[in-house]
Amino acid sequence: MKKNVILSSVAVAVLLFSGCSTNKPTVDQTAKTITTPSLESSSVNTETTAPVTSNNATDNVAANGASMADIEKSMTSVYFDFDKFNIREDMKANVSTDSSIAKAAASAYGVKLEGNCDEWGSDEYNFALGLKRAQAVKTELVNEGVDAKRISMVSLGKSTPVCTEKTKECWAKNRRVDFKLLP
Amino acid sequence: MRIFLSLLFFFTLSFGADASIEVIKKVDVAPNIGVEDSSIGYDESLRNSFFKTLLGDLNVLSLFNVDRQHYTTNYENNDVVVENRDKDYVIRYKVSEEVDKSFNVTMKIMKKSVVVATKNYTLKNKNLYVFVAHAMAFDVNEYMGAAPVNWIKSKVLIARLVSPGQSEILVCDYTLTFSQRIVKGGINIFPKWANKDQSAFYYTYLSGRKPILKLVDIRTGKASNVLSSDGMIVCSDVSPDGKKLLVTMAPEGQPDIYLYNVDSKKSTRLTTYQGIDVGGQFLNDNRVAFISNRLGYPNIFALTIGSNAVEQLVFEGKSNSSCSAYNGYVVYKARESSDTFGDNTFNLHLISTGSSVVRRLTATGVNEFPRFSGDGDSILYVKEYKQQSSIGIIRLKYNKNYLFPLKYGKIQSIDW
Repeated sequence: MKKNVILSSVAVAVLLFSGCSTNKPTVDQTAKTITTPSLESSSVNTETTAPVTSNNATDNVAANGASMADIEKSMTSVYFDFDKFNIREDMKANVSTDSSIAKAAASAYGVKLEGNCDEWGSDEYNFALGLKRAQAVKTELVNEGVDAKRISMVSLGKSTPVCTEKTKECWAKNRRVDFKLLP
Repeated sequence: MRIFLSLLFFFTLSFGADASIEVIKKVDVAPNIGVEDSSIGYDESLRNSFFKTLLGDLNVLSLFNVDRQHYTTNYENNDVVVENRDKDYVIRYKVSEEVDKSFNVTMKIMKKSVVVATKNYTLKNKNLYVFVAHAMAFDVNEYMGAAPVNWIKSKVLIARLVSPGQSEILVCDYTLTFSQRIVKGGINIFPKWANKDQSAFYYTYLSGRKPILKLVDIRTGKASNVLSSDGMIVCSDVSPDGKKLLVTMAPEGQPDIYLYNVDSKKSTRLTTYQGIDVGGQFLNDNRVAFISNRLGYPNIFALTIGSNAVEQLVFEGKSNSSCSAYNGYVVYKARESSDTFGDNTFNLHLISTGSSVVRRLTATGVNEFPRFSGDGDSILYVKEYKQQSSIGIIRLKYNKNYLFPLKYGKIQSIDW
């Protein structure tokens, strides 16, 4: 198992409103409190774990000699219709292929399902939509005999588009579930 | 590059006692105000930016007819400039750099050419100068005896997408003119202030094995893990006392809303529908507004904590996928065109849970991320219209809408 942990120190601005101003004698001083911001800087260590991708999985080799990365590449993404999370008829073959790989060549690995959405909406609902897509694929995999305990899920919303053009074809490529293998 | 604060447009609608009720009234006769710049320090670029920031703030106060002309004069002059002689009020200020390099601003409020108030502001770091302009506007508003505008000094958290798989969190002023990156590396999204003091915030970290809800104390600079869940985890809302959170989690792959007690660290599941329930927002009367697709499309519902009953709050719109609540009010985003991928219009609407009236707050473009200010006085949102992104401020009491050009194109979420 290889896990890259990158510690990044970033400056944090703490903008505090403090009474560091002074009043001068005035004719009509309605405003009572003078407030100006001051800056206090400190650093925060934000632990950033590198995403589990084929790049950090190249050390793993399956029993048949294929690397985890190669097996992962052989798994095909599952695509969805706009605002839907049911598996389309034309995608069922993809899921069957993926489940076969999960049960054979990838049987030693965990399977992480990453749900993704197009750019229409970045709110929580969209993330939930991505998750329901991952869950739909998980249900199919389990129905075809993959152990549910091997499967984990995450919704990435629109954070990881594979296409950034503003076209129908491009948006369709982003409404998908990707397969990642975990050692 | 700085964003210069500019007023793009405003519309005049008006409210009655219920903010969701739209009433048409005559245009108010607001007092005229002019701004005189007596600055002697720093370069022209900073002085111009400071002037425009202050001008924008005075506009957003919605109390004055603001003269946009940049007048300059000597701070000690007894008379206002000729063009301001007929003004009801004049703000004269002087920006200067002190010997210790601190940023100093002195301000006079003049009424009919008579000085009625003076203020002095100092700042160690001149990069934060926009907050001085905001503080000046706050004090002018207070001098005028108007309702408090504490939100003008509040900070805004935004998450923005930098590249596929990379998003960062920034802290900004309310116009997003000032910004400073706080969190970077991997996917960091859904920032949410943890308390009224804005001394800490929650956010979701997605680049690990499981989604993690983290808490960052910006006074100590420490980040800690709060919760994790398979699938997704988002802190949707924080109770006014900071003791309870509404969190969307999916421990079994099913997105539902949970109530998390900060002290006991225990979670209580509030929704059990097998579809999508997300985006919980604290309402008054122990109720929670949330987004659900239980009717086949995303819409706004409400539940009472401790009860299984669910009430539909909105009966209009084809897709109402996000909302923000303050007491009995809910502002929500609605898709208003049926073209799945055309130039869709997403508008913001305001409802009161005590009435059936729906008030449309925006008219064109894609309007999203609505967030009430802490006192419910205003709504912050992001607008996309004709290739231009803007941050919008809706002043509910004054029925005006102000837009400021935005330099962050791909905003993922926002909190005020």
